[in-house]
Amino acid sequence: MDRFRAETYLPLTPVAFEVLLALADGSRHGYSILQEVDARSGGAVSLHAGTLYRVLARLLEQQLIEELDAPAGQANEDERRRYYGLTARGVAVARAEAARLESQLAAARARRLLSEVDA
Amino acid sequence: MRPSFRPWLAERIFDLALLAYPRAFRRRFGDEMRDDFRRAAARQVTAGTLVTVIEEGLKERAAAVARWSFWPNHQPHLYEPSGRHAMFWDSVRADVRYTIRQAIQAPLYTVLAVGALALGIGANSAIFTVVQGVLLKPLPYDDPGRLVTIWSHNTAENRPENPISPANFVDLRDEARSFAEVEGYFSFVTNTQIVLDGPPEISVTSYVSPGMFTLLGRTAVLGRALRDGDADGDIVISHGYWQRRFGGDPTVIDRPVTLDGQPATIVGVMPPDFAFPYRGMLGPTGFTRSIDVDAWATMLLTGPRMVDSAGRFIRNVHYLGAVGRLKPGVSVAQARAGVAAIASRLEQAYPDTNKGWTTTLTPLHEQVVGAVRPALLVLAAGVGVILLMACVNVANLVLARGVGRQKELAVRAALGAGRKRLAQQALTESLLLSVAGGIAGLLVVRWGVQALVALAPANLPRVQEVAPDATVLLVTLAMALVTGTIVGVVPAFFATRADVRPALQESSRGSVGSRSRHRMRAALVVTELALAVVLSVGAGLLLRSFATVMTIDPGFRPDNLLTLQMSIPYRLTTPDARRAYYAEWFERLDAIPGVVAVGGTTRIPLGSTSVTTSVQVQGKDVPVSDLPEVEFRRAMHDYFEAMGIPIKRGRGFSAEDGPNAPAVVIVNEATVRRVFGNEDPIGQHIRTGPNPSGPWSTVVGVIGDIRHAGLETPPSPELYVNYLQNPPVAPFIALRTAGDPAALAERVRTEARAFDSTLAIYDIRTMQQIRAASVAERRFLLLLIGAFGALALVLAAVGVYGVMALMVSERTQEMGVRLALGAAPSAVLGMVVRQAATLAAIGVTAGVLAAIVLTPLLTSQLFGVRALDPFTFATVAALLVSIATLAALVPARRAMRVDPLDALRCE
Repeated sequence: MDRFRAETYLPLTPVAFEVLLALADGSRHGYSILQEVDARSGGAVSLHAGTLYRVLARLLEQQLIEELDAPAGQANEDERRRYYGLTARGVAVARAEAARLESQLAAARARRLLSEVDA
Repeated sequence: MRPSFRPWLAERIFDLALLAYPRAFRRRFGDEMRDDFRRAAARQVTAGTLVTVIEEGLKERAAAVARWSFWPNHQPHLYEPSGRHAMFWDSVRADVRYTIRQAIQAPLYTVLAVGALALGIGANSAIFTVVQGVLLKPLPYDDPGRLVTIWSHNTAENRPENPISPANFVDLRDEARSFAEVEGYFSFVTNTQIVLDGPPEISVTSYVSPGMFTLLGRTAVLGRALRDGDADGDIVISHGYWQRRFGGDPTVIDRPVTLDGQPATIVGVMPPDFAFPYRGMLGPTGFTRSIDVDAWATMLLTGPRMVDSAGRFIRNVHYLGAVGRLKPGVSVAQARAGVAAIASRLEQAYPDTNKGWTTTLTPLHEQVVGAVRPALLVLAAGVGVILLMACVNVANLVLARGVGRQKELAVRAALGAGRKRLAQQALTESLLLSVAGGIAGLLVVRWGVQALVALAPANLPRVQEVAPDATVLLVTLAMALVTGTIVGVVPAFFATRADVRPALQESSRGSVGSRSRHRMRAALVVTELALAVVLSVGAGLLLRSFATVMTIDPGFRPDNLLTLQMSIPYRLTTPDARRAYYAEWFERLDAIPGVVAVGGTTRIPLGSTSVTTSVQVQGKDVPVSDLPEVEFRRAMHDYFEAMGIPIKRGRGFSAEDGPNAPAVVIVNEATVRRVFGNEDPIGQHIRTGPNPSGPWSTVVGVIGDIRHAGLETPPSPELYVNYLQNPPVAPFIALRTAGDPAALAERVRTEARAFDSTLAIYDIRTMQQIRAASVAERRFLLLLIGAFGALALVLAAVGVYGVMALMVSERTQEMGVRLALGAAPSAVLGMVVRQAATLAAIGVTAGVLAAIVLTPLLTSQLFGVRALDPFTFATVAALLVSIATLAALVPARRAMRVDPLDALRCE
């Protein structure tokens, strides 16, 4: 088995990164991920039931996320759902992608495409 | 609606949409997706959402197929493919390996099958390439669907597609509101004298208004194209001419040359795929040379050809073509109505010249390819029949093969192979054979297209644009798959009917189930015979049409006639100088040994365009707007004698009809009928044009009618003027020879060089060659359909032979028994032949019925023979029955000679 190198997973598709972001502060079920992405991006990233689970399938295959049990104390309907959370790999890849995006932004600022105020 | 119903319905619809996803995906994520849908139902759920779900589902399926496909891979995947999925691909791989093994073990069968399919598929693809290049590909202009050609239509004499006069062109261009642009061109191409760096050469030139290239939306590949504001003398050359004459030299731009005696400059070179005008855009013409335009020169609306002495545009001489680009949103119908209205107004305003004329439009694509479409479709149908016959032959081959493999099939069935599995194997084999045939067929396509383009008539439109491309490749592949499926259906059907127990028995008598197999083979052969009848009837009708056309009397004697075109040097500016020049020229030609008579004309029959003029007859008061039109030509020296045109009344031209003698003309019989109302025209006075004043000419002779525009076109009224009274600058010369006319060509060239090295002589052809070129399209179609018909006869004969041979070998025992019991050998032969004759009778009857339905579609290509011609039908029927009977004779004779002891022993 090859050593795990986060860079090989970059660049992530915008949708995949949004999902990893949504899971960064704790595990969620599918619908909650949808809501979170919609709220955070203000509707800019279009994610709906059709695309979400395909992305989840790919992320599961790449072992960036894993299936978890529902945390204790959830509402009734949420109890039955599957929960997803980041694996250690997932965290590493999310960090690597964030770093990549940050360096891009820094370059944009340096070339005055993005002013300090707008950033 | 009850409040709980709608969500329930929506959920059911969502469930249906989820079916787009693979089963395993649904199992894993389906519950979550349904739950999400329920929660989201509070918000608006639109049809768009469902579409997205279905779309994503199909994408997931596609991704799954890509991953677990033909070659196993080791990428991690979330959900395992279903067992069925893996099994299916395993079985496909096994079938392929099996087919390849079988093919190697039976090379003859494989070669025959693949060969037949390669020929069938390849031939079809080759014809499709031609159809695509000529009919389907858009013209090489920008947005060509918005381009139309504009014609004058003489409703009084029912002559559509006439060129337009300069005045009408200007009025149309200025007043028509349907067009973004209208540009004009000469409705004929001219052979201009071009001086580059030596003696004058001939270049084929098309004169176009300077804005034409902008209208067509094409730019030059070197330098620039003509544009509005260009002066007289700016010319653009074609890519082919640039390569041929200048070797692709880039310094050709801005090089000064002389065109028709005037200084000119080459300003650009057009791309290799650019062509203008196409032959269909030249109006009705007998022009049989291919049009490879070398150069485009500016046509300006100035000069004596465009403007009369009073400064007005000329309205009564029609020689311009026009192309228009429709404004966005304007339909062809609207534009048609628009120009018709303008023409109507012009008819009111200028009754002398425009009465009886209107204006019509034709979409440009239709104008260019419309005439040739029926013939190409006939070709496509013919070659399609060949492919069907090839399929039938291969199906027969596969069936015959199946006979030998029955035991093996039975074993497989006994070991548990389901019917679907056996059918899948048979289908895989056929598909593989067909795909191999398709790939081999690509070679056939390449050679076939080369051969077709070489054989094609010179004026087949767009033949230079015919080349195999990606579309052809895709079509070939599609054909291979369809063929494979058709061919595979038959053996697949039989594979599922393998009767297990009898086949497994050690001593099976012949082959079990052979009766139904034999019936199937007989049915296939009957189909082949029927198809062969249809194709042969078509070929027979085309052959009779061609023969009829070739026996049409053209009105002159086409044998032993050598023709050429010439262009006199520009220094001969006066009629006297020209007369003297021609006098010496004809004297030299007359002196050549082997030359019987020499003459010339401005328009050679079957090989040139025509100009028409209106005529008035003295004493007949016809209103100017109703003057009849005749074709105007000049005759030179002993023209009628050289051509063998009979003088029916009066006399021909003589040397006395010189410039100072009274003006004389000679007319043909059609003119006598149309213009003189069948009265004797000799001695009557006639003049050309609508002018109320001017000199009259006297009619001194009447010649027989000749075919000018084509062998199939009835003769038109003609009027000849003697060249001495108006010498032309670029006439055709006709020489009647004692022996083979082609043998004198070199001698004539030498004579011309000796006479004047600046004289341009070109296009030296015998009249037989011109006549052959005039029927080249008909001949091309006949050649191909005839080849298909011959091929069909061979395939049918082979099919009958195969079935009868198999029957004889299967029934060897029976024959042996009969012979042992005392039957005469001739009786056994008779039995076989009778069987074959029955098959033939059924097949031919079916074919005749099919032909009765289909041949009326051929009518547009026939001449002088009806589509349901009984003679052709009867001949083809008899021919096929005889071929089938003869094909059966070989195996029949073998049956006759069966040794009864051997046959009975072979248990």
